[in-house]
Amino acid sequence: MHEGAVVRGSQIMAGRVFAVLRVWFGDRENSVYNTSVFFKNRYRDEWITEDFARQAILDVDHSAVIDSSSIDSPVLGVISPLQLSGGVKALILMKHFPGKTFNASNCGDNCAKWILRLGEEQDFTISLLHVMDFGEGRFDIRILNHRKLVVHDMQEFLIAGAHYLRERE
Amino acid sequence: MTGKYEVVLYNNKLHYELTIKRNITILRGDSASGKSEFVRLLSAYSSNPSSSGITLKCDKRCLVLTEGNWSLFTEAYNDSIFFIDEGNGFLRTKEFANAVKSADNYFVIISREKLSLLPYSIDEIYGLKEGKGAGKYRNPKRVYNEMYRIFGKLPYPIKLPDLIVTEDSDSGNEFFSILFPDKCISSYGKSNIKRILAAHPDQAVIAVVDGAAFGPEMQECMDMVSYSGGRLNIFAPESFEYLILESGIIEVPKAIMEETWEYADSAKYFSWEEFYTGYLLDTTRNSVRQYSKAKLPEFYETAGNIEKIRNILPECMRGL
Repeated sequence: MHEGAVVRGSQIMAGRVFAVLRVWFGDRENSVYNTSVFFKNRYRDEWITEDFARQAILDVDHSAVIDSSSIDSPVLGVISPLQLSGGVKALILMKHFPGKTFNASNCGDNCAKWILRLGEEQDFTISLLHVMDFGEGRFDIRILNHRKLVVHDMQEFLIAGAHYLRERE
Repeated sequence: MTGKYEVVLYNNKLHYELTIKRNITILRGDSASGKSEFVRLLSAYSSNPSSSGITLKCDKRCLVLTEGNWSLFTEAYNDSIFFIDEGNGFLRTKEFANAVKSADNYFVIISREKLSLLPYSIDEIYGLKEGKGAGKYRNPKRVYNEMYRIFGKLPYPIKLPDLIVTEDSDSGNEFFSILFPDKCISSYGKSNIKRILAAHPDQAVIAVVDGAAFGPEMQECMDMVSYSGGRLNIFAPESFEYLILESGIIEVPKAIMEETWEYADSAKYFSWEEFYTGYLLDTTRNSVRQYSKAKLPEFYETAGNIEKIRNILPECMRGL
């Protein structure tokens, strides 16, 4: 496995600083385990109409944001943000609380590309209680269970996940 | 609790049909596939069945377990099907596993976590998808959700393996050591399987696991299989004892094998693996066929009986 140069979470490559997604396998103190309950009590109306939320809601939930309190779902009709999928709620929280660790095992694999996209924009940490499938492409994910480890594809990620999830059983 | 149950739940926009036949069923899959919405509908129905506008059809009582009620409900109710949404921390506790172990109830759990303390079957891990049945209901706009099995038929084709890894260290391992002399090792437990798969990067390896209880490990192992380029594979019969019962060495009523849900009482057996072992032990006790899980009895090592088991194995597992 490769080990990239790491400075306070971000990676330095060719003189430029890139944000990096950090993953903790297993339970983590102070992480938010039930993201739907946290979302219900902490989300703000204006987050729903931002580009990131609009696109993620359209892609994952196949629903269109009408305004900050109404979303048009092809299945349920007009719904409130509280009826969004657990995965989209977690994505919106990750975007707006980069200092908090959220349980991304509430997200299906169809949220993985959005987590990677967020990871390119900002440093943030997720906890995983399963091995999420980030697809066949290359990526940079720092495994916090082993602070110097950065993985770059699913095979490396899978080996790290299997190891650290088993270690915590 | 025994039996196989249809759960039909619907309102004006959603229609769910689930079939539940073991004590533990897992629902997972993509976000926004309707899993949590099912629990929301059932909660609304349970709060006020007659005036919720929601219809539930099931021969058993269906209830939602939450952080606040799970301990009380699992003690107070029997003969029920409990549904649990993701995000409930109690799912991972020993207390909950103990409550499931002796329960006269079935549990349907929405979670992507491994839940290592629960011995669920690889065949009872489902996703939800929009089904083809939408048109058959009066309201064409109602979305019809049905279950699909996440892990398909196993094993995929593989050439003759360089190595066989059995989850068992006892009778099951002894049997496959006869078929694959010098090529069969034990992982000494299901949680070690993936470590051994990862430790043999240049070999064709087949892991032999008890499918009836291998659910917690299945996702990670199947990920390893799919990224191995055809090098790794998993053979997952219900259990080794299931293979013996299925082989015809012992006369077993057809229904035991084909409708196990009618016999494997959840209050007595944590998984069907335990049921098949118990059945084999009970039916062969004090006879020449007497089975032992700890050591494969000579009766099962005779050429004729080895052949009978071998005949029901997929080609790549029939040995050298």
